[in-house]
Amino acid sequence: MTRLAGAVGRWTLDLLQAGLRVSSLMVDTLAAVAATPFRGRSARGRAAVESFAEFGSRSLPIVGMISLLVGVIIALQSSYTLERWGAQRFIATLVAVSALREMAPLMTAILITGRSGSAITAEIGTMQVNEEIDALEVMGIDPIRYLVVPRFVAMVLAVPAVTVVSMFIMVAGGLFTSVWVVGVPGGVYLDQTVQSLVARDLVIGLTKSVFFGVAICWVGVYRGFQVRGGAGEVGRATTSSVVTSIFLVILIDLVFTVFFYFV
Amino acid sequence: MERDDPILEVEDLVVRYGHRTVLDGVSFTVRRGEVLVILGGSGSGKTTLLRTLVGLIRPHSGRIVLMGEDVTTLSGARRRELRTRMGMCFQGSALLGSLTVADNVALPLREHTDLEESTIGIMTGIKLNLVGLAGFGDYLPSQLSGGMKKRAGIARATVMDPEIIFYDEPSAGLDPIVAAGIDRLIRKMQQAFGLTSVVVTHEMESVRLIADRVCMLHGGRVVGVGTLDELERLEHPWVRRFLSRQPDDEPGTDPDFLRSLTGAG
Ligand SMILES: Nc1ncnc2c1ncn2[C@@H]1O[C@H](COP(=O)(O)OP(=O)(O)OP(=O)(O)O)[C@@H](O)[C@H]1O
Ligand SMILES: [Mg+2]
Repeated sequence: MTRLAGAVGRWTLDLLQAGLRVSSLMVDTLAAVAATPFRGRSARGRAAVESFAEFGSRSLPIVGMISLLVGVIIALQSSYTLERWGAQRFIATLVAVSALREMAPLMTAILITGRSGSAITAEIGTMQVNEEIDALEVMGIDPIRYLVVPRFVAMVLAVPAVTVVSMFIMVAGGLFTSVWVVGVPGGVYLDQTVQSLVARDLVIGLTKSVFFGVAICWVGVYRGFQVRGGAGEVGRATTSSVVTSIFLVILIDLVFTVFFYFV
Repeated sequence: MERDDPILEVEDLVVRYGHRTVLDGVSFTVRRGEVLVILGGSGSGKTTLLRTLVGLIRPHSGRIVLMGEDVTTLSGARRRELRTRMGMCFQGSALLGSLTVADNVALPLREHTDLEESTIGIMTGIKLNLVGLAGFGDYLPSQLSGGMKKRAGIARATVMDPEIIFYDEPSAGLDPIVAAGIDRLIRKMQQAFGLTSVVVTHEMESVRLIADRVCMLHGGRVVGVGTLDELERLEHPWVRRFLSRQPDDEPGTDPDFLRSLTGAG
């Protein structure tokens, strides 16, 4: 019993300590973002643009594919319930609202975690193992400013950008399904979509995705910097980065959904 | 600038990993313009010492005064400024794997100066030429051999024209010709630019070639500082063995040890 209590206590302490270190990393990053908004000479602005293109392009194909499938699934699933009341035109409403508020931000965040969150951890972890981070330090180059800031800015922009694409494709998936499978005319579907959406849905979806981007980047970076030892550690850190990040994304999603349920 | 004034003073340095004391009261000074070699057995804490000197490891106690600044307490902008005036070559080169050789060498210039891109290109070219890597600027570090990586590391460490440079085992694991080339390069840097060099090594060959003075590290302490001739006259038994390459007393013949193996006694 005491052993259990001890273990729980240690675990809590570890968690608190990790939380503290992550927060100090957050503070450092934000300070660096605020202090050097792409001061030209170090061309870090270009690095941010490159990272943005990379995060976006790496995840777009798979996000497109999955969003289409999810759109189809939501449409079929809602049709199953709605047809009992002959209210199939409301498929459009259900697809649009779930896509914008929940599914598009969530799917995009999870896929970007797998594609780019993992890559961030692997890159920084490898640099840690090869003493590249130490080399930066000794050259008087702040690793936070040099490595983290561009990735952070890129990630916080890339997740919402890809999310918007995902939203469109999900709605399209719903449209195809209701036209070809359920038999709701396309015009009716689109009308219904436009009518049922409010700006609020888009705002909620995008706000979430910004927070998802923050979480993905920070977990990726933090796990990367944590790597000590050899290449095996990089692999372990990468796996743990993806798991932690997905967990956090879903947690954040829950918090938002609860919040907007009451507000 | 006077040749004998100290550029680096280390006083009573203690470094611990957890409860294990690796450096236990290390003191020595480095004079401006000299090549000081730090000699010591494998695992004697040479890399640890170098990493502490450049501020990557915080010592448990002791003082390190580098170019008039106390490294152990310095932080923020002052530390960054000090670091632009020194260079370090890592045991494993530590070139950034995502950048080409030329970009690696140019990195400190891009980050710390407002020079035109064309000027940076020229300066990078000069350094690469000096270390014998002209024409390899567009290669990625993964496309270079170990010796080439070390030389690229030297080019990067010297591109800001530092006042002092730290080398960790610059010629370890290289063939004798390449190793000799690196030794000559270290000498050349010192003679051409008056660059103070602190070199960690255990290759006696290179010590003879490059060292002005030698600092011997054993058991976490400095057991001797001076020219190689002076050290060879020392009575310290370990120093004698190290310099004349005699093995330790053969392990395993100790009767107590044998008894402990067989479980008798
Ligand atoms: N990060 C670390 N954590 C704990 N112990 C360490 C760490 N780094 C080094 N040590 C220990 O400190 C001692 C000195 O290590 P160091 O790497 O400084 O030796 P060295 O003299 O450079 O050896 P070599 O000649 O093999 O490079 C070793 O016994 C090592 O086990
Ligand atoms: Mg070493």
